[in-house]
Parts: sequence; structure tokens; C-alpha cells
Amino acid sequence: MADSPARTGSPPLETTETERPSLWVVRPLATAAKQFAKSLWRPSTIVYPFERLEDPKFRSAVGVESGRPIGVGEIWDNYRGVHALNIQTCISCNLCAFSCPDVCIEMVTVPGGDPKHPKKCPEIDYGKCSFCGFCSDACPEGCLTMTTRYELSVHKRADMVYSPQKMYEVFQSKLPMNPIRVARPENEDAIRLDPPLCIGCFACSRDCPTNCITMVDIPKATPKPGEKPAKRIWKEPVINDSDCVRCGTCISVCPKDCLFWGSRE
Amino acid sequence: MAPMTLFSVADAIAAALLGLLGRLLPAGAAHAVTAPDVVLGLATVVFAAILLAASMLNTILLIWYERKLLGRFMDRRGAMHVGFAGLLQNFADGLKLFRKDTVRPREADSLGFWASPTAYMITSLLIFGVLPISTGWNDGSLPLTLLLALVIFSFAPLFIFLGAWASNNKYSLIGGMRSAAQMIAYEVPILLAVVAVVVLSGSFDLTTIVNEQRNYWFWAPLFLALIVFVAGMLAEMERIPFDLPEAEAELVEGWNTEYGGMLFAFFMLADYLRALVGSILVVLLFLGGWTWPSYVPSALTSFPLAGIVWFMVKTYLVFGLFVWVRAALPRVRTDQLLRLGWMRMVPLALLSIVLAAVVVAARCLPVLGCIPSIGG
Amino acid sequence: MWINMGPQHPMTHGLWNLRVRVEGEVIRDVEPEMGFLHRGIEKISENRHYNEVITLMDRCCYVAGMSWEQLFIQASEQALKVTPPARAEYLRVLSAELQRIASHLMWYAAFVQDLGLMTPFLYGMRDRDLVLDLFQSYTGARMTYEYMRVGGVRNDAPHGFTDQCRKVLDWLLARFVEYDQLCLGSTIFRKRCDDLGVLKAPEAVAYGVTGPMLRSAGVRRDLRKDRPYSVYDQVEFDVPVTDTADVTGRYLVRMEEMRQSVRICRQCLDWLDRNPGPVLADHLPRWLGAPYAPVGREAYLLKRNYPTGLGFSMVEEPHGEAGAYVVNDGGEHPYRVKFRSPVLINIWAAKRYLPGYRIADIPPIMGSVDVCVGECDR
Repeated sequence: MADSPARTGSPPLETTETERPSLWVVRPLATAAKQFAKSLWRPSTIVYPFERLEDPKFRSAVGVESGRPIGVGEIWDNYRGVHALNIQTCISCNLCAFSCPDVCIEMVTVPGGDPKHPKKCPEIDYGKCSFCGFCSDACPEGCLTMTTRYELSVHKRADMVYSPQKMYEVFQSKLPMNPIRVARPENEDAIRLDPPLCIGCFACSRDCPTNCITMVDIPKATPKPGEKPAKRIWKEPVINDSDCVRCGTCISVCPKDCLFWGSRE
Repeated sequence: MAPMTLFSVADAIAAALLGLLGRLLPAGAAHAVTAPDVVLGLATVVFAAILLAASMLNTILLIWYERKLLGRFMDRRGAMHVGFAGLLQNFADGLKLFRKDTVRPREADSLGFWASPTAYMITSLLIFGVLPISTGWNDGSLPLTLLLALVIFSFAPLFIFLGAWASNNKYSLIGGMRSAAQMIAYEVPILLAVVAVVVLSGSFDLTTIVNEQRNYWFWAPLFLALIVFVAGMLAEMERIPFDLPEAEAELVEGWNTEYGGMLFAFFMLADYLRALVGSILVVLLFLGGWTWPSYVPSALTSFPLAGIVWFMVKTYLVFGLFVWVRAALPRVRTDQLLRLGWMRMVPLALLSIVLAAVVVAARCLPVLGCIPSIGG
Repeated sequence: MWINMGPQHPMTHGLWNLRVRVEGEVIRDVEPEMGFLHRGIEKISENRHYNEVITLMDRCCYVAGMSWEQLFIQASEQALKVTPPARAEYLRVLSAELQRIASHLMWYAAFVQDLGLMTPFLYGMRDRDLVLDLFQSYTGARMTYEYMRVGGVRNDAPHGFTDQCRKVLDWLLARFVEYDQLCLGSTIFRKRCDDLGVLKAPEAVAYGVTGPMLRSAGVRRDLRKDRPYSVYDQVEFDVPVTDTADVTGRYLVRMEEMRQSVRICRQCLDWLDRNPGPVLADHLPRWLGAPYAPVGREAYLLKRNYPTGLGFSMVEEPHGEAGAYVVNDGGEHPYRVKFRSPVLINIWAAKRYLPGYRIADIPPIMGSVDVCVGECDR
């Protein structure tokens, strides 16, 4: 059928001859009978628990047979379902929790960190989650991804909360992962320092999840004439831009607000 | 051996049961329980039980049939998980409804609220007592079975309106009034269409009407009457082009809005009982009942119980037609429905009476005798 | 007699109440009551990042999520002074038009069911499912897409998508013929719908009615033509109108709109095949790229002064003309967001187009309005 029938022109729409009722109700009866004949052998229904849309065998065999244009197998992997978390590569950057619009992600301590800096991984409450995918888009390490699993029913409300370990099990079950990596703008801002305000407290370098902040000695300012040289060795954070995941932890822990976002140039 | 009828079967069952009972009892009591009057009485009960079981089983099967058929029209599958191909789904549904609490609104009228579904169910079941399914179904045929069936059939609006009014709900009331108006309006064309059949067959007895169709089925000469009858039956059964009393889009569920649980199941069952009756009547009056034209090979028509089997096949095909109509047509409006009934159906029915008279007259003329016959 | 049709009633398709005063079966007066589904989306939006608001947009109108995403994102881009790349614009238009088809199919399904016919409901839902499959294949979700971002879209369409999409569009075009046969080809349908719910052009304009309801009254107004946004001035399509102003007219307009949407989609697909490129703008304020900074608004205001601005956009949504107004005060959250819902206004005109008809006419008339209460109450 052509995509531009004659009646798409500018004069007002009229019911064309084929759309006029003829012989009372014969035409709809005939249409229904045609569909009946078509679906006599196999209706379009996907018998869900037994046939699944994501099942490639089903899609290639039955989808074509029933006349439904389902095809292209790998597209299903885009589905945003239950999260999978690779605990090993998680750097505890908090970005998933920060990016969650529903505040359903909480960072909980998992074994494996040192006592001073416990390792924290996301715990997701699926009672609140809206599956927007912002968390997995935000994850700089690609360790929090979304899988094609969509069956979530549980008996208790508490079971809706997926601990990091549980999401690690999902990860280990090797489900297809959402392959989409979100494009990030080329000229992302970077962390910048306002040097006169810095007191060299080490808070930023201590809390940086990627250890991209190193405290370096700053060259002492030449004392003004008549002043004593400062006794203390001043240190200042230097940020390795290529390692920085732009989580902003350093900004939020800075007691003097001397770190800020600035353009990279 | 006398031809086996359903009643003779019931009689034999009753006699056997009582004979068994008589052996267990002392001689005097045994003589009392095997007296012919007692046997006859029990035979009547057994007969009624068989009828009840058959009609209910068929009704439930009919619901399954509609669900499956409608599913195919709609490109889906219908019930399919409980039992083979979902055959037991309706029993499961019935069980669920049975377990539900029946809630009566506080402001509803108690007597009318309870009485209406019961009476509706009873009258719908009652019709089966007079419908002959096959040659040996009813023992002695009444002279006016057709009229009796239609009279019982037309009790329904009374009870529907009663229940609707009693449940004290605006939707129910509107639905009940629509139902009453519609059923009364469509009684007339139905009866007129039936008159055409009566003219052609010369009898009000359903068995005679069927036997008259030995040579040719009445649908051919009485095609107009068939259309009127089917349309009228659709309205009487409140099926989809004419289901405005329970138009769920505007009236929630129409006259049975307030009914839940088993009472709703009663209405639902009675609706399908009436649908079954409607299909059976169409088969009896127009499609030759259990008879076949003579050119059909006798091997197909003379195996044991062939009459019942072919009758049920025809009935289900007719009901399939109703389902087809339901799958393809939207609902009409009240005023359109009534206008259709009074202004179109009644004249058509009258015309069909004239046609029937012409056919009867033509029978006298040997030249025209073969025109309307399909199996003559 | 007053009848409450709603808040839970098969006619409502959502959660609202239509109070009807009837004499016998004839409607004398109606009074729509809204507010049963109010979720405070405008207020919640003030506490979210710009991109996070789109999760609300999908839930604002759950049958036309893409159109509402586009609406808000366009207003935000205007307020934030961001320009998306061309490929993103084409993807957006493609999404919006697919959404229009999906929404109209949903309307078709619900509307014909209001007439008592179940079959088209299943046909419509079956074919809408194919469009949802398409959405899922490139956004990752079937109804709540979260696809658009300020400055572009989340991701590009995957490999093989355009061919798949063309296949589905061909299939749909063939199905539209069936729909017409089931509805327009039926005498009962025509008897039910002709001269029903008439809302003539002057009244429609006076009430602010928009969308297919307005076009069915003979007013050739379509924002995609009159105030072309995005790349609608780059694609060819016609604006269908009828002058019957009744339910049949709305049916015709919507059916033709679907065909026109197929036309637009095909042009977009051709363009997308020819022009690869980025789908997200380069120069974005920091918080707009993923991930988001965990820094409070005050901190931003202290450190950086981002440009402030106002944004207003109107979109020809499947139900009518939707508007969004966004105030950007330089922070990471919008200062104020206001939406204009087309359905709310179309419903309020019910006082004009319902009285005089019968109770049985309410479902088809309200069905032809295409009510989506989610956006109505927000």
C-alpha cells in the first residue's frame, strides 16, 4: 500500500468509497472472519511463561510464522531490567546513588575494604526503582549495568531490596547486559582548585575513590622582606584528569569549599 | 422393543435403583418402594436430573466454546491452561464465584434482590423441559411446546427488571428499563417470525415442526423469518450488537451491577442457558433439528445417537454465528434498537408470514413445489 | 437525576469523574471533576535535575511519553541555551511520531471498545505492541523510555533498527485498512458515530480545544506546521482535517494522522541512514552530562554563574497541543515548571459537546476525545 493515499491532499477528509458501509455489516463480518482464518492455526499471542519475547528461538521461529515482524535478535539486550553489579570493580564512587532520581540506592558496606575506608556498594530498593537507567549510565567503571531480567515478584516487601551481593549473583548469572554506553560530552568539566583557600587538609585525596588526587608540596612563596619563612610545608591537591571519574566527592568533602568545577581549558 | 426415549432410560434407572433398594429392605417395605407410582415418581426426578446435568454441562461448554472462538476472532487464544485447552477454566471460575461472599447493598430490597437471580435461573432452566433434542428425547409431546418455550423465554424481562429495581442502583435501574423495553420490543417480531414457521409446518409442536422439515429445511423458504428470528434472539439473549442493558462502557455492568459472587454466576449461567435455548430454537425451527435431507448418506446419519450428535453440532454452529456477530459489530443505541425492532423487524416478519403462506399455496401447485426445497 | 460516571467507571479510561444530569436517557448537563490523579509533577520537577524530570514526563502521559519528553526537553534547552545535534533532532521526531502512532492505536483500541466492540481493542493493542517493541529496541523500555536528554538523546539507534522499523511501518499500514473495514465499513458504527458529539469550530476555538478534536471541526491547525519545532520543517506531511466536527470526523482525522506519521517516520529513517553523527551536544553545563555532580545548588551558585533563562515550548502531542514553561535561575534544578495539558481543556469543553445526546453516547464521545488523565491531572 502506498504511504500517501489520494485523500491526504489538502481538501477536507472525506470517507472514500471503500470506507463507506456497504451491505450493512458484511464488511466488518468479513474482516473478522479473515482474521479468524489467519489466527486459526496460531494467534499472535505470546504464551508468556512458555514463550518469551527475548528467546531468540521463539523470535526467529514463531515471530515470522505468525506474520508479526519481530526479528533482529540482539536488540532485546537494551532492555533495562534488574541491575547487575560487579563488586570487584566497583570503586565506591557514589555516582549511582547521586544520580538516582528516586533515591532508591543506598551505599552499604561490603566486606573487602580496609577498616579505615570501608568499601561501599549500591543496594537498590526495587520498590522505589523506576528503571530509568541513570545509575548505570552514571557508573564510570561499567560495573553497575542493567540486565534483561524483568521478573521481580517477591513475597515480602523486604525482598524487593537487592543487596550488592544479590546483584553480584545477577552479574554472575551472565544475563545479557544492556550494551549501551551513554555518550558523554567531550568538554566535561574538571575539578579545579582555588589555591588561596586550600588549607592542605588531605580530605580530598583521602576520600577520592580512584586515588587520582595526590597531595604535592607547593613551592613556598618567597617570604616578604621582614617576614619569617613559614614553618609548615604546604601541600596542595593535584588532580589527574585522565583518572578522575568526576564524582565530585572531593568537592563535597572539602571543608573550605576550595574545589569547584571548572572548564578543562 | 419400543424406541428408546430419554424418559424410558430414566425409568429404567429408577426401577433399577429401587429394585436394589428393595433387596436390602424387608419384603413389605420392598413391595412398597417398587410400586409403579414410586418408580414413576423417581423416574421423573431422574429425568429432571439428567436434563439439568445435560443443560448445565452444555452451557458451561458453550461458554468455553465462545471464549475459544472469540479468541480466534480477536487473534488471541482464549482460555487454555486449566484442563485440556482450558476446558476446565469455567469450572474453576465457577468455583471462585461460589467461594465468594454474596454482598447485598444495604439499601437494596432484600426479597427482590434474592428472588430475581433465582427466578431468572429457574425460568431459563425450565425451557429445557419442553425442547426436544432428538426423536426420543421427550416421551409424549405436548401440542403447544413451541408456544410454551417462548412464553417461558419471555418471563425474563420481568425478573431482570425486578432485580435491577431491587438493587437500588442507578445503573441497574437504567439497565433494567432498557432490558424490559428491548425484550418486549423484540418479542413481537420473534413471535411473528415463529408464526411463519407455524404456517409452513401447520403445528405448534416442536417435534412435528422438525418432522415437517424432513424434506426441506425451513431456512430456505423462510430466510427473512430466519433473519428476523436471529436478530430478535440476539436481542433477547442480550448479546453484543444488542447488549445495551448491560453495556459495560456506560452502565458498568447494567442490570447486574450490584450482583457478585454466586448470584452473578446465576445471571451469567442463565444468560448462556438462554443463548443455548436461542441456538436450539433456531436449529429446531429453521435448520431441521436432528433431521437430514435424504441425499446425505445414511451412514452419516444413522449411527447410534446420531440425532443428538448432529443436533448439537448444528446448535454449536449456530452459536458460532452469534459469536461471529459479537466479534465484528459494535453495540447499537437504545432508540436505534427500538426503531429497528418496531419499524424494520415487524414488517419483515409480516412479509415472511406472507411468504410462508405463498409456499404453502405453492405446495398445492406441483410446478412450484420444488422451488424452495434444498433436499426435496 | 445526577449520575456519577467515575472516578471508577469503564468510560473514564483513567481516574476522573463525570457528573451527568439526565432526563430519561438524554443528557441535560455535565460536570467533569478532575484531580483524582494529581501527583504534583510540577512541584516535584522543581527538586530534580533537568534530565531527571523526564522520568516524570514519561509518567505524566503514559501513552505518549516521548511527546512529553520532547516537550520538556525543548523548553529546558531553550532555558539552558543548549542546541542538540541534528541527528538527535531526527531521532526525537522519529520517536515522537512512533509515539503518535502508538498513542492513536491505544486510542483506537479504547474508543471502539467503548462502542461495545472488543475485537478492535485487541487488534489495536496487538499492533501497538510492535511499536513498543521498536521503542524497547532502542530506548530499553516499553512505556517509560527516559530517552531524551537536554542536548540530545541518550543513545543512538542500534544497528539494524531502521530496517526493522520500516518493516513494522509497512505492517501497520496494512492493518489500518482492517481498522477502517471494521469501523467505517459497519453501518452500526456509522449510525452510532455520525453527527455525534458535535463541537463546531467557533466553540472549539473559544474553549481552547486543540488536536484532532479541533482539526475534525475543520480548523487546519497543527503546531508541526504552524510553529515548526525540531526538524518538522524538514519533513513532508499533510495535516488532515474534516469539517464534520463529530466522532466519525475525529476517527478519520486520527486514522489519517497515523498514516501521515508513518510518512514522517520513513523520511526520518532515510535521513538517519544517510547521516551518522553524534547524538549529544558538546557544550553542556556540567550537571547535564551523565553522571551528575553531588553538589548542592548553593555550592554551584557560589562557584559558577550559569546563564539564567526562560524556556517555553509547545508540542503537537497526540492528544493536542501541550505546552511547557521552564524557568532556569542558573541552578541545577528548574526554578519553576508549568505544563499545559491539552486533554484537560478538551474534557472541559464537554459542557458543550455532551448535552443533548444520550447516556449511551457518552462513552464514544469521551472516547473520541482521547482522555489521558495522567497528563490532565499531572
